[in-house]
Amino acid sequence: MVRERNKNSGSRILRNRFYPVIFLVVIVLVAVVLLMYVNNITRAKILEQREAKIVSQLKGIFPDMDKYEFKDDIYIVLKDNKSIGYAFIAKGKGYGGEIQTLVGIGKDFALREITVMSNSETPGLGSKITLSSFTDQFKGLKSSEVVLSKNGGQVDAITGATISSRAVTDSVRKELDKKIEIIKKNNY
Amino acid sequence: MIETEEKFSAKKFWRELAKGIVLTNPVFVLVLGLCPTLAVTTSVNNALGMGAGVIFVLLGSNIIISLIRKITPNMVRIPVFIVVIAAFVTILSLLFEAYLPPLYESLGIYLPLIVVNCIILGRAEVFASKNPVLLSMADGIGVGLGFTVSLIIISFLREVLGTGSLVIFGKKLFAIPVLSQSPLSIFIMPPGAFIVIALLMALFRLLGVLKNE
Amino acid sequence: MNSLLTIFLGMVLINNFILSKFLGLCPFFGVSKKLSNAISMGTAVTLVMVIASIATSVIYNYILVPYKVEFMNIIIYILVIAALVQIVEIVIKRTNITLYNALGIYLPLITTNCAVLGVTLINAQNNYTLVQSIISALGGGLGFTLILIIMSAIREKNELADTPKSMRGLPIAFIIASLLSLAFMGFNGLL
Repeated sequence: MVRERNKNSGSRILRNRFYPVIFLVVIVLVAVVLLMYVNNITRAKILEQREAKIVSQLKGIFPDMDKYEFKDDIYIVLKDNKSIGYAFIAKGKGYGGEIQTLVGIGKDFALREITVMSNSETPGLGSKITLSSFTDQFKGLKSSEVVLSKNGGQVDAITGATISSRAVTDSVRKELDKKIEIIKKNNY
Repeated sequence: MIETEEKFSAKKFWRELAKGIVLTNPVFVLVLGLCPTLAVTTSVNNALGMGAGVIFVLLGSNIIISLIRKITPNMVRIPVFIVVIAAFVTILSLLFEAYLPPLYESLGIYLPLIVVNCIILGRAEVFASKNPVLLSMADGIGVGLGFTVSLIIISFLREVLGTGSLVIFGKKLFAIPVLSQSPLSIFIMPPGAFIVIALLMALFRLLGVLKNE
Repeated sequence: MNSLLTIFLGMVLINNFILSKFLGLCPFFGVSKKLSNAISMGTAVTLVMVIASIATSVIYNYILVPYKVEFMNIIIYILVIAALVQIVEIVIKRTNITLYNALGIYLPLITTNCAVLGVTLINAQNNYTLVQSIISALGGGLGFTLILIIMSAIREKNELADTPKSMRGLPIAFIIASLLSLAFMGFNGLL
């Protein structure tokens, strides 16, 4: 009888003192295992999505592209295993934050096309930098021409959104010069 | 005896659900979960995505927390709730990143911030930890729907006034002629969010749904 | 977008946590009626934000990224924050009982304050180093406190004004916030 009572009060103490902590630890472990499992299932699809996004952006500028290589922050666009052009991302400080622009150039280093990928500019004003009415101006320009027209270049700024327009223009020009140097040096 | 109990349960189920949408509407009545509400309602698309996500997490966490309510020690119940909710939010985040990447990108940090959405923790503490599983499910769906409905109302106003048109799942549903040429952009920017929710709250009070202060 | 000053000013003025990112709203509307409460709350939140940023930045950069388990950040961050708030609560209770009573229930609620988890997520998203994370948290917290103080000063005066019945309390507070937000948008082109 005494032994039984000791066993009962013994297990009750165990339940009282350590049980909360053990319970919490078990819950955390179960959660971790579950998350690892879900991560495993979705990892392939997530990588696939990221890849698809890059491919679709590059194909927007180079419709003939087969595949690409990524070296020194430069996308080398390939068709039939020969490079048909290059692309890179230019970052500039706009009115509301960072603007990221994808710049595509041909083998002759002339600008093919730009796509503004992300921005936090004023909706209805600076956000117009994403429209083709603005970005089409960049087609075929040489680096020296990638300047706002009010400063002697070929790019007309958007009315009322000079800062946004300048941010894109300047960042594209600076990155263009830098990347052309790298491409020439490495013979990509 | 058994028959009346079950009928009682079914009626209770729907009653809990309806409660969540009007009487205990999380946004306009309880004023919880404001952070994502104002940030995400720049478009109805985003609002729907966030609403669906919150319903998913609410359902999941309410069910689990209700299931383990009898073996959860009182002392660690808040950390336990948090871990359960965080797990569901992580699962949601991974699923969105894998299968709905545009939505994942436009929700941004507000997707993981569902974890600290007071609504979910609040329902866990107030309801799910004290009620059986089916009722907790009803509460989860009801409150989640209430939240989603509020998000839709706010985002509808903001998107239509702020861009002059409505775009859902990539399809332009309609565009108001004069408004879409020069929309009231203020409404999709932060000040507009504050204004819309202020006026909607005042409206709810006028209609007698809420009590005045 | 890189220098520390840019990050700091950006967090306080341009990407202000309350007026622009909508983070930290729950305590904002609950606490901001008295100036002294606003200052206490703001300081407590900033403190938690900075410490949490240090802890989470270290965990992210030295554990999560090398082992490729970034997705665990949500659950780990919130647990770290919950533990931190508990510790801060105990420390404040022992050292400054008046502050403890002034903050009341809002102290444990810092755990669910979007601003705290928000700043740790922003740091991860921007891949900030430890120093950048600290500056970012300081800026975010100070911006939060600044708005809390301004808001409480305005609301104290507003109590004396004749507000329409349905607008009293929260609705008029939101309108005040919208005007503040509009004003702060003027800082946009600053950097």
